[in-house]
Amino acid sequence: MNNYPEVVARIANDYLERVKAQLRLAPARERDEFLREIESHLYEAYRQTPIDDDVARILAVLRNLGEPAEVVACRLPGTMMCSGAKRNLPLYVVGGIFIALFGIPLGFGGLSVLVGLLLALAGMVAAFYATAGSILLAGAMFILLGLSRILLPGLFDRLVELGFIQLGGPVGEFLDHFSPSDQGLFMLLFACVLVAVGLGMLWLGRYIFRGLRFLSGLLFDWIRRLAHSVRRKLGRENREAPPQVGQVSFANGK
Amino acid sequence: MEYPQDGRDRRIAQLRRGILELAVMAVLYHGRHYGYSLIRVLSERGSIPLKEGTIYPILARLNRDGLVGSEWVESVQGPPRKYYALTSSGRQLFDELSQELDSLVSLVQRNWKTPDQSESVGKKLAVRKG
Repeated sequence: MNNYPEVVARIANDYLERVKAQLRLAPARERDEFLREIESHLYEAYRQTPIDDDVARILAVLRNLGEPAEVVACRLPGTMMCSGAKRNLPLYVVGGIFIALFGIPLGFGGLSVLVGLLLALAGMVAAFYATAGSILLAGAMFILLGLSRILLPGLFDRLVELGFIQLGGPVGEFLDHFSPSDQGLFMLLFACVLVAVGLGMLWLGRYIFRGLRFLSGLLFDWIRRLAHSVRRKLGRENREAPPQVGQVSFANGK
Repeated sequence: MEYPQDGRDRRIAQLRRGILELAVMAVLYHGRHYGYSLIRVLSERGSIPLKEGTIYPILARLNRDGLVGSEWVESVQGPPRKYYALTSSGRQLFDELSQELDSLVSLVQRNWKTPDQSESVGKKLAVRKG
């Protein structure tokens, strides 16, 4: 039985809650035992402090005991660590890894947005290179067709008859005006255009790739600076913020 | 020029911190105590101003290192008390540490002045005066 007056119980309870908050990472058993010990100390010290006024008495006891952070300090056994150790929570560790890797202060939502953006950019680059590859492949096919039309016109006609090569529509009508060797030359000319376009796209792709890399670098740099300023601001607020006082009722007579 | 007060306080606090753990062991060497009674003994008999909260981390560290043991004992009034006592390894270590402290204290308190030095200082003073 502690038998504190109500106001004293409230002050003592606030203090114990602050100690408890400092020990939030400690195993429950060690934390409870330490709180019991501090509770016992408060009782003994309160009983033996010769001050008439109840509030002044408990405040003197707490003043002599010191701030919760000092009482807990970094010296508690095993997993009881420093007062600022709340950042070691597994979630904070995972968040810290993501921040370290990606410089994201926005949590998993921000991470998904950034991953989405990166995937979209990667998709655009992949589509660009796929188009360039397709154009080059078409150019190579037209080279084969042109050469076969010039060198093996019989085989070409046979393939047209069998339906393997289909040159209908305006293109077919246009080519019908020319001899097989001229048709082959046109095809080779068209193939050269396709190959040139494909190679041109590959050449441009190098610059596009460089530009995208520059843009993503700017984006990462911006996020990193933002994360740095947020961390600095949060650190300053944590240093300036007064300790939080708990609201749980005081446990009497443990 | 006088040495700044805050620097003096810092050094005194540093010295006390270093010795406080040994003082706690010394008190527990002669009998078991709970936190508050240990603080009372240290502050009343030791005449050293003590921040009470510093004792609990020391006790926790000694407990973790197996130098003190603890047990909860029901109290007639109020919540149960956690009593601490030195273990056999704690007692053994305390004997070694107190011997070490004796030699350190004698190192500090020894008169390091040699007869030659006293003479030379006297001579210099004599020259300045002249």
